[in-house]
Amino acid sequence: MKMRIVAVIIAAMATLALFAQNAALKVPDAQQFVGAPQGQPLSGDALHRRTGEVASLLRCPVCQGLSVADSPSEMAVNMKEQVNELLARGYTEEQILKYFELSYGQFVLLKPKFEGMNVLVWVLPLAALGLGIGIVFMKLRSLENGPAEAPISDAAAIEGDAPVDPYLARVRDLVSGEKS
Amino acid sequence: MNRTVLIIGLAIAAVVIGVLFVSLGKDPAEIKSPLVGRVAPDFALREVGTGRTIDLAQFRGKPVVINFWATWCGPCWEEHPVLVATARQTQPQVQFVGVVFQDTEDKIQKFLDARGQAYPTLVDDRGKTAIAYGIGGVPETFFLDAKGTIVAKFNGPMTPDIIRANLQKVMQQ
Repeated sequence: MKMRIVAVIIAAMATLALFAQNAALKVPDAQQFVGAPQGQPLSGDALHRRTGEVASLLRCPVCQGLSVADSPSEMAVNMKEQVNELLARGYTEEQILKYFELSYGQFVLLKPKFEGMNVLVWVLPLAALGLGIGIVFMKLRSLENGPAEAPISDAAAIEGDAPVDPYLARVRDLVSGEKS
Repeated sequence: MNRTVLIIGLAIAAVVIGVLFVSLGKDPAEIKSPLVGRVAPDFALREVGTGRTIDLAQFRGKPVVINFWATWCGPCWEEHPVLVATARQTQPQVQFVGVVFQDTEDKIQKFLDARGQAYPTLVDDRGKTAIAYGIGGVPETFFLDAKGTIVAKFNGPMTPDIIRANLQKVMQQ
């Protein structure tokens, strides 16, 4: 009987020691990065839905072009869990994105911010499109004006102001049916 | 018209070549972490083998090297003897700490038993510490000064020279 009591006491002490040890464990907290939560704690369906929405804005760091929401990797699952936990604690989407950005850099954001060199990502495609339209427009205009330019050069050539390209002269001869 | 197109084309080519020149000139292993210059995220994790809790804060006052690694990572095997040898040479002036990334405690213990260890290796449940440190692959190593500020980060396996160079940066702080 005494032995059983001693065994129970030892087991209880071991459990307490383990509990104390685990209680001392701590992992880095978002509060160190982005301060206290600034939103309302979420739960239930709203928490589930928002977790998916916010996770879809984050890039999985170990995947090729997949969001945290879409990737089955352990890394993405852990990140999604953390998004879920932060939303449940009342952190806003902006705070959560900022937290991950402070750890991974802007690389982790699937939608680049409109600032600094990132502006090029938004502006360059539009600029390229505008440039392309401009070039096509200018080309069309030059084609429209093209026939009017030829007589001028011919006239200049006749007047001896400019030499006639022999190849062009031969083509013109062939087109007009005169064989030389 | 042709001259205008040529100038625009050359301007675009110059920009592209400039961007490539700047980007390709960088060492991908030395991509600057946004954490560099900030105080290292705090953690207190369980040590593999002993089960005792190791708190990062307990090492304040001396430089700390935090190495994220795993047994499934080939470059980590390559790096391990370098870290152990350097730790043995520099401790107690410098504290080395290993943090396990997506691995199991028993595999880590077997690895350490077989290949030796010279500093605590900690278990990161659910990868929260790795996420806070922006880990995307292993090995990745952080160099902290005596105040706990991250001075440098290195991605990939390190040689003794790389460790020495980064420790010098830390000592200069």
